[in-house]
Amino acid sequence: MDLSAGFVFTCPFKTNSGNKALSHLPVELAGFNAARPLVVASAGTEGQKAVRILKSAFGDSGMTLALFDNVTQAADLGLVDHLKNLCLEKKVDAVIALGGGKAADVAKVLNLAVSLKTPDARQLLPETPIRVRLLPLVVAPAAGADGLETSRFAHLGRKVFSSESLAPVLAVLDPCLAKGKSSIGMAAAGLAALGRAVESHIQADQNPFRKAYSFAAIRFVRENLPAAVADPGNRKASLALLNAAAMSGCAFSNAAAGRLHKLGQVFYDLLGIPQGVIMAMCLPHILGDYLKEGQYDLAALFQPLAGDDAFARTPAGKRAEAACDLLNRFLKELQDALGKDLPKSLAEAGVPGYRKEEILDVLGADEEGRYLCGIVERVANGRPERKG
Amino acid sequence: MSIIKDVPSGTKPFKRAYVAIFLWFTGRAVQAAARVDREVKKEFDSLPENFTFSLGCLPSGPRMVIGKEGGRVKYLGSDPKGRRVHVRLIIKSVDAAFLLLSFQESTALSTARNRLMVDGEIPQALSIIRVLNIVEVYLLPKIIASLAVKRYPSWWSMGRKLGGRIGVYTRTLLGI
Repeated sequence: MDLSAGFVFTCPFKTNSGNKALSHLPVELAGFNAARPLVVASAGTEGQKAVRILKSAFGDSGMTLALFDNVTQAADLGLVDHLKNLCLEKKVDAVIALGGGKAADVAKVLNLAVSLKTPDARQLLPETPIRVRLLPLVVAPAAGADGLETSRFAHLGRKVFSSESLAPVLAVLDPCLAKGKSSIGMAAAGLAALGRAVESHIQADQNPFRKAYSFAAIRFVRENLPAAVADPGNRKASLALLNAAAMSGCAFSNAAAGRLHKLGQVFYDLLGIPQGVIMAMCLPHILGDYLKEGQYDLAALFQPLAGDDAFARTPAGKRAEAACDLLNRFLKELQDALGKDLPKSLAEAGVPGYRKEEILDVLGADEEGRYLCGIVERVANGRPERKG
Repeated sequence: MSIIKDVPSGTKPFKRAYVAIFLWFTGRAVQAAARVDREVKKEFDSLPENFTFSLGCLPSGPRMVIGKEGGRVKYLGSDPKGRRVHVRLIIKSVDAAFLLLSFQESTALSTARNRLMVDGEIPQALSIIRVLNIVEVYLLPKIIASLAVKRYPSWWSMGRKLGGRIGVYTRTLLGI
């Protein structure tokens, strides 16, 4: 590995993982001089269950939590503005993002608005300068967390906020929160983490720290996703997936946004389709193209996917192709296990033609728009990979 | 009505009561063991006069405080009563204390899992840990004590175990 070009790596958060990790949260908050945290959680039964677990973890701490447990897919900057005023009124001094997805995005942007004391949070822009230290943000991802919780990104109202300051200071990964209910939920979360970790791992610029995180994330997903899909309540496998998601978020924060991420995010923002589902559809096509382009280090994927023995047995020249085959087989096995729950094409996912056009319009504005639109066309009806 | 609700964190009375009773009994047992067991006495002899340590959980107890007065070891209850506490062994939460004191986790495992904090001199804290290990061996049957301590002292003679147990239990129950 040639490191002469230099590299930068930041992992701004501490990780508390394992049995009863949540019960340490009051002490950790005290370490940040915080005594009045705001908990941001999703609406619905999953969010309520997570709130019950968190409340129990705070038992005997003497703290009073401020709770907003109604984050929906439709959350926008208007909601953030309303919450910001209430937070300033209640003198909130820390933010806890409970669960994943939109709750984490809202928590990050809300933290920004509260810390900057922005008069109108609807005017917040990705370019808004951050000149103050933000309140401590803690993320406690639950089953279904896709890894973006620990990243420096927040997607809200078609805006993408990106700053190291937005990343959490603490990630709490507790098995009580990790256990899922549906196999497809676990698969989508694991595949989103896998997609981002794969793209971070193969990027051309050398960054050994990032590779260490993405390596572990890929291996954790490879080893634990089948077990978590077979039994979403599997404590060991689901905690391993949560760790993989957290690591993939950190690796992704230190890499350029890849094609898989862009595709997954657009479908999630516009149609609410989980990013992992779209990534699983697109991954074979994109990896096939990467293999042909030859700019990416696909051979580096072979060791975390196949294990050390297989890596040692395989000649260096064949590792890239073997890694692609292995990943395709892995996805095929998951698709076979989940049947129609994990669609192989947009048609199977029930995306109507007019929504596809909307997606293409948004993707067209990207610098790689033409290529991304081509991928969408390829996965629209599940056509096989382009030859030649 | 505000969309942000205030949620009090609640209490854990069962776990708190269990931890409080356990610490009360262990505190008295440490006092007893210092009079019965030569090794415990030696550990306390190596500590300075008026040395005081506490073992408890955040944020507000329960805890036990043990001090050395005139060469004798004394269980001081849950309040240091204005005495300077030289070593504080702190368990981060009642949940963590329950795991440790119900022997679901050994002291070594709890430390490895980042559930314990020490405020004070490390050599003195290690002396206290050694004392607590010996006391646990006296108080608990082998099958449970093996879970609580890192290495069960199978090299102890039967006389030491039996005699010590009788002495520690009698003095603990009588508070002498």
